[in-house]
Amino acid sequence: MSLEIDCRLLRGKFSLDVQLSVERGSTLAITGENGSGKTSTLDMVAGLLACTEGKILLHGKALDDSTSGRFVQPELRGVSTVFQGGGLFSHLSVEKNILFGRNAAYKNTTKLDNTIGQFNLAGLMSRKPPTLSGGQRQRVALARAFLAPSDILLLDEPTTSLDAVSRDEVRRAMKAFFEIYDGVVILVSHDDTEVAELATQVARVRVSRDETTSAKLGGLVVK
Amino acid sequence: MKRNLSPPRGLWLFALPAAAIVVVPVIAVVWRTDWSNFFASISNDVSRTALVLSLRTSFFATSLALIFGTPLAWLLANRQFKFKAVVRALCVLPMVLPPVVGGVALLYAFGRRGLVGASLDEWFGIRLAFTETAAVLAQFFVAAPFFILVMEAAFDQVDRRLVGAARTFGAGPWRAFVTVTLGLVRPSLVAALVLTWARALGEFGATIAFAGNTAGRTQTVPLAVYSQLESGDQDALALSMLMMIVSLGVLIALRGRLISALRRGGQ
Repeated sequence: MSLEIDCRLLRGKFSLDVQLSVERGSTLAITGENGSGKTSTLDMVAGLLACTEGKILLHGKALDDSTSGRFVQPELRGVSTVFQGGGLFSHLSVEKNILFGRNAAYKNTTKLDNTIGQFNLAGLMSRKPPTLSGGQRQRVALARAFLAPSDILLLDEPTTSLDAVSRDEVRRAMKAFFEIYDGVVILVSHDDTEVAELATQVARVRVSRDETTSAKLGGLVVK
Repeated sequence: MKRNLSPPRGLWLFALPAAAIVVVPVIAVVWRTDWSNFFASISNDVSRTALVLSLRTSFFATSLALIFGTPLAWLLANRQFKFKAVVRALCVLPMVLPPVVGGVALLYAFGRRGLVGASLDEWFGIRLAFTETAAVLAQFFVAAPFFILVMEAAFDQVDRRLVGAARTFGAGPWRAFVTVTLGLVRPSLVAALVLTWARALGEFGATIAFAGNTAGRTQTVPLAVYSQLESGDQDALALSMLMMIVSLGVLIALRGRLISALRRGGQ
């Protein structure tokens, strides 16, 4: 049971080749310089971008396959995301953000209460994201992603915008969550400490600059 | 000595007359309005009928702009399609066209002998010209561009990644559109609706050409003002004053939002 990615993304002069395989219950960290295609890789897994060639398989079933033309819409992929900057809906309260896509039955459950406690959000539930600090926003985004039932969790630089104190806090929460999570985690990070602490495998995007810019993501380094 | 960078001198000389041209007529109307008979003037039969008709037709014209303009604005902001530049230019055309020319065009399209109107009459017995529906269509023709332009700018400002995030959290394309996209553009949507409604309420040229000036059927407030002015009726002044109050109310309700809405979708 795993996520298999073997695909190429072409966009104008930019080309990105991704060959990755992540087992359920493990955490893959993707590192590499800016603009090398880390976020695009997450977008392809999430279904926000289609592979130009190749395929993405989850537990043997195609999410995206350029040969058969299959493309599963994002809402049907069972992914959960923390985008760079959080990706919170600025017009909705923290509570509505966290419960986005959940039904009302989810309210007042212990899982919700635990997550609110874990991320220290109790006093923020009725606030709107623009009124929160960067660290608070990121905690809301993580709580939302952790609460969503998913097979794949995608995190795009979840601690980049945080100060040292909240970074440690958020990292501890991520570590605790990854230990009980039985899906696939892909974490994009610039931070070596974070990668060492959280990831079970690491992939680095290598960019070669010849006539066209191309990037390769693969060649797994297993810890 | 003022200690700052000196601006070009004498600009006030030109700026003040420009302001005066707008301000003096407003003062004149306030001054000449017979305030003791104001309510009597705006509630006489002709005025009241015109007011009710104006409110009804401008409501329908604004609703049409909302229903048909929103999808068009979204498509213009988000999709590439053939002749997009042409479609956008055609959407803006009524803004630069003299409204009376728009009315003439509507007449030749939907009038009894018109391009489409002839068939409408022949096949369905529908005659649009010189009806209340024609007044609604004339207002829509003139006012909808404001709605479409403001909303296109608003949709263009929406962070696509937020819509993507909504999709990954289980929202289908429609739900993501309604809960996230429309939620994010709501301030612009309100500004666009008020602006469109105000423009529809003030419509004159296209209405008189396509819908005529029949009291009780197509004589909206601006047409009533015109007719009363022609016959030397003092009530024209009271109705004008009322329209001014409404316009001022619109400006106050929107405050700075109107200008920022026009400039960049109001977000």
